[in-house]
Amino acid sequence: MNDNYHIFSDGRVERHNDTVRLVTEDDEKKYLPIENAEALYLHGQIDFNTRVISFLDDHGVAMHVFGWNDYYSGSIMPERGQTSGQTVVEQVRAYDDEAHRGNIAREIVAGSIHNMRANVTYYDNRDYDLGATLESLDRRRDEIKSVASVEEAMGVEASARRAYYAIFDQILPDGFVFGGRKYNPPNNKVNSLISFGNSLVYANIVSAIRATALDPTISYLHEPGERRYSLALDLADLFKPVLTDRVVFRLVNRGQLSDDDFDSEMNACLLTESGRETFSKEFEQTLDRTIDHPRLNRKVSYQYLLRVEAYKLKKHLLTGEAYESFERWW
Amino acid sequence: MSGHTDERTGETDPVDLLLESARDEAVESSFHVTGVMMQYYEVCERELWFESRNIEIDRENPNVVRGTHVDETAYDEQRRNLSIDGRIAPDLLDDGRVVEVKPSSTLVEPARLQLLYYLWYLDRVVGVEKEGVLAHPTERKRESVELTDETEQQVEDAIRGIYDVIRSETPPPATEKPFCESCAYYDFCWSC
Ligand code: SF4
Repeated sequence: MNDNYHIFSDGRVERHNDTVRLVTEDDEKKYLPIENAEALYLHGQIDFNTRVISFLDDHGVAMHVFGWNDYYSGSIMPERGQTSGQTVVEQVRAYDDEAHRGNIAREIVAGSIHNMRANVTYYDNRDYDLGATLESLDRRRDEIKSVASVEEAMGVEASARRAYYAIFDQILPDGFVFGGRKYNPPNNKVNSLISFGNSLVYANIVSAIRATALDPTISYLHEPGERRYSLALDLADLFKPVLTDRVVFRLVNRGQLSDDDFDSEMNACLLTESGRETFSKEFEQTLDRTIDHPRLNRKVSYQYLLRVEAYKLKKHLLTGEAYESFERWW
Repeated sequence: MSGHTDERTGETDPVDLLLESARDEAVESSFHVTGVMMQYYEVCERELWFESRNIEIDRENPNVVRGTHVDETAYDEQRRNLSIDGRIAPDLLDDGRVVEVKPSSTLVEPARLQLLYYLWYLDRVVGVEKEGVLAHPTERKRESVELTDETEQQVEDAIRGIYDVIRSETPPPATEKPFCESCAYYDFCWSC
């Protein structure tokens, strides 16, 4: 239904009659079924013109551009669903009200900690003794309830994430040394995988937010304007453990990535085209997984959970009904 | 019948508010009631609140087209749409009766209330008395609908009810209804 199409080769994306096609450098033509598409992801060097942009706009399809170093470089978003002055007003009101902003920020951190904890529990139940990490995450979860400022909430989030990342070296096989989170640029294979995965989560959330007419630049946990779409950063924190980290563990533990999938030079380690392809494929399969939603009474895909999260936040802002952040329930 | 103030609050009765602005263009009022609002009021007050605030929902949602299909295709040859003050748009049959099409058996009451509102509006604002007919295209049945003391009361109560709903800062809480599953706001209400 809401498919993402990843383009890894170099070439051009163009409108051709009522379709979009990719013309690669060796003149191979591929048609992209954009009727069901949510977004195109451009990983290679791609040319495009305004004709294809308006065509994508008409079909409500976003285009996310992935660059080299930091992976995500920007989006061309469809116009549709973009305007709701009232939603933006409520977003700003909540941001401006310290207590209100704090509540949303704390709720996001609580959810992120829960979702990190779910991953730790998973490995704690299989051959690893991660009791100390679980305790440490539980303490952070208690702590977040009573923090006064957004800054402190960020601090609690950061220390929870440090405790959580500390188990990666235990879980991942030899040859995949992590040694803590480094980005911009990532310094080793694990960091480059996490960076790439997180940028995919981020881009998907940018699409989900846009579908709700929320303004992606007005955020609660992160400072607005800290990076382009700071609201996407807020919501991405909730989903990184469920999406990025699980994909990293799965690919690495199954030995699906080799040295050829990475390109190391200077202090940077980045995924090659083949590495990105392998990762994206597994990532898309994860987005397509479905889960019974207890309140919606139907199966929903992981990708739809991103949209649901944006709905929940918007509903909270417009109706005052409580916002409870996404916590993995399965 | 209704006085100039609402006994409940001492404020102007919403019915008068609506009539004053409908009869006199010079009266500025932000309170208007459309036929569709009558339907929403009957179906789900929460949906009415969302609609009144233009809360955007997912336009890809196939449920958004609920009911409109039947309405637009039935009785095409015999009815004319009449737009009045740009506020209400009743459909007239050749014999002058106002017709409203009931899209499904679950949506009879909303269609009836909308029809009654049109009759009431034509009577009070335009000054013409009309009869109404509620049509059931699939069942080939027609039911006549008239303004009586009782149905007038029903319309005016609905106008006051609508006023209360849309003036409220917060929407009525979601309650599970048979309509929910086909409602465009379903995911919005129940994703929690
Ligand atoms: S989902 Fe149900 S409660 Fe929500 S607006 Fe629709 S009918 Fe009303």
